[in-house]
Amino acid sequence: MAVAAVHSGGIADHIHPEPEGFLRKYVFSIDHKIIGIQYLVTAGIFMILAGALAELIRVQLMKANGGFMTPDTYNAVFTMHGSTMVWFVIIPLLTGAFGNLVMPVQIGARDVAFPWLNMIAYWIFPVAGLMLYSSFLMGAPVAGWTEYPPMSLQGAAGTSMWCAAVFLVGIGSTMTGMNFLVTILKMRAPGMTFTRMPLFVWGQFVTAPLLMIATTALGAALAALFIQREFGVPFFDPTKGGSPLLWQHMFWFYSHPAVYIMILPAFGIISEVFPTFARKPIFGYKMIAFSSCAIAILGFMVWAHHMFTSGMAPTLQLPFMVITMLIAIPTGVKIFSWTTTLFGGVLEFSTAMLYSIGFLLLFTIGGVTGVFLAAVPFDLHAHGTYFIVAHFHYVIAGGSLMGALAGLYFWYSKMTGRLMNETMGKWSFWLYMIGMNGTFLPMHWLGLWGMPRRYAVYDPQFQTWNQIESWFSFVMTASILLTMFNAIWSLKHGKKSGHNPFRARTLEWQIPSPMPYYNFKHIPSVFAPPYDFAEPLPYRGLEEELTDSPPPIPAAH
Amino acid sequence: MAVASVTQAGIVGRHHEEPDQLYVETRELRVQGFLLFMVSDLVLFSSFIFAYLYLRNTGQGWPPPGAPKLDLALAALNSVILFGSGATMHFALENWKHRNFMKFANWIIATIVLGAMFLSGQIVEYAKLAVGWGSSGIFGAGFFTLTGMHGFHVFCGIIYLTVLLLQAVQGKYTFNKYTGLTLGTLYWHFVDVIWVVLFSIFYLY
Repeated sequence: MAVAAVHSGGIADHIHPEPEGFLRKYVFSIDHKIIGIQYLVTAGIFMILAGALAELIRVQLMKANGGFMTPDTYNAVFTMHGSTMVWFVIIPLLTGAFGNLVMPVQIGARDVAFPWLNMIAYWIFPVAGLMLYSSFLMGAPVAGWTEYPPMSLQGAAGTSMWCAAVFLVGIGSTMTGMNFLVTILKMRAPGMTFTRMPLFVWGQFVTAPLLMIATTALGAALAALFIQREFGVPFFDPTKGGSPLLWQHMFWFYSHPAVYIMILPAFGIISEVFPTFARKPIFGYKMIAFSSCAIAILGFMVWAHHMFTSGMAPTLQLPFMVITMLIAIPTGVKIFSWTTTLFGGVLEFSTAMLYSIGFLLLFTIGGVTGVFLAAVPFDLHAHGTYFIVAHFHYVIAGGSLMGALAGLYFWYSKMTGRLMNETMGKWSFWLYMIGMNGTFLPMHWLGLWGMPRRYAVYDPQFQTWNQIESWFSFVMTASILLTMFNAIWSLKHGKKSGHNPFRARTLEWQIPSPMPYYNFKHIPSVFAPPYDFAEPLPYRGLEEELTDSPPPIPAAH
Repeated sequence: MAVASVTQAGIVGRHHEEPDQLYVETRELRVQGFLLFMVSDLVLFSSFIFAYLYLRNTGQGWPPPGAPKLDLALAALNSVILFGSGATMHFALENWKHRNFMKFANWIIATIVLGAMFLSGQIVEYAKLAVGWGSSGIFGAGFFTLTGMHGFHVFCGIIYLTVLLLQAVQGKYTFNKYTGLTLGTLYWHFVDVIWVVLFSIFYLY
């Protein structure tokens, strides 16, 4: 058996030769695993920037009557914080980083369908980020990450730069979506039917069309805004026949699906973590998979619930409200499936597991306030207040980001061959829980009391709670910095992990850590879903992966 | 059969060669990836079409003051030219499948010429309208943006088909391996179909 792998001649055997030289290997790599790490590091750098902006916001809000920033600077700061977090941190982390790192291995492939496209999609991302931050030099955008006209039409020149940067990063996302979709449709190992795919692959599979379709729609909106600003074509200018509402339609048609782009892969991550650390089969595998599809489809029909206060016929409000509330059903199915997976399991509270449990708690709170906000009468009251800020930070900081952190602690050893430090990990988790809740929980009642969002100054009666939030936000920042330090420290000092430290059952754990450039010596066959912990592994053809047998030879062309 | 058509083409390199499994599977990936690209391109057009219809139907009545009158006859002639180019492109690919290189080359050149005629027709129409993109209000926001985007697609298509023709002359494609030509044909038909929609909403609606 110990001979070099035999080629069946198909695409599955299309192996890149081992990359040589620093540039090929680490900079312009076409290996999906290196690209995943590149996304991870770049998104981490943008997260430091966005986090610094967030702390500027919190320091400003410690004083009711204006802190150290002028209102215009303050506007620019929260605009850039939101834009960076959405397009340059969360989406690249969940799709570009973990999707690239893990998804092709989990389906038993040697790379994504279009490795060159993957490399180009990555390199668009830091360039777009530089463009985004260069807008500070020409007058940063001030109208929030949503850039509603007419304010975005009056903003400084940087607003056009913002359009171009987000447009560009959107092109990268579209490419990633196309690439992932073709990869999952066409490159699964023999025997890996749709209902045998790991749930993380399901998450990416459902996210990919959203990335493709919704991001292009955003591209159209951004192009229209850019054209209006630079060429005076009045799409959104009501004095010349345009309509500011048109922007809201075009923007939210993307940006509502975008929130599912930011959460469905995180659902996938914790669906991998829960069964592994509860030592139990995932409960309701098919229900978790299909409810993701339901969420993705419904997600395209609810964009106008962001516009209840923008002037809208009541006959339209009702269907948007009802469909929005319907999304709570597939989401609830997931929450119950995860809870049932944990129930009666022998839980091992590793850091990845803690973050996943944190996800379950905090995302549920964010989801419930989402149902509140779907109700038109409540939304009319809470719209534009800190209640909204609380809601989406619970979903994104408590959901998406916690999912990404769980993924980092879970899959770190597949990148580096070492585990992240658990003591630091647990400290980071508890600091995150305390900081996150301390920062965003009071925003719920501040919002209900009527404190408007996006103001540089506010009513002094809210000052105490704002100061409490600001102090807790420092705790949250400390947690993120601790995780980042942990990731760097563990490169050298982490415990050697071996190939499968958590005794997990998906394919990426059956090959060495760090994963070799060819992924598999032999493409395995799959004959069951990966979550049945009582059974032997459902794969054939993996005998040589951990032996010293020679790597496969690239097919000649 | 294969030998005969190579002689007819008079160019070496397009010999009869059975595609291997790698080629067959890569072709599936490329066709699927290309279809997805067209889906996202379609979304781009749809978004602007939505914007146009939204502005048209929520504003102060249509046509807005100052909007020029569109020339239906010229546009209809232009449309016939573009649809004709769709037919010629179809014949080009069919002739390739029947291993007739010269006919393929003639039909694809006809397609490129018709595409260029369409673009010229559009330039004539823009010149006759005599209003600017920014100065013609929401009429221009819809009309010039969408037809301009479409024209840009035609322009890219002309370059694309020219490159494909040159590659075919150089022997990059064989009579059994011609995925690139299939994709080019798909793209050209896509641009045609978009024009059906644009023609309907601007000239007939």
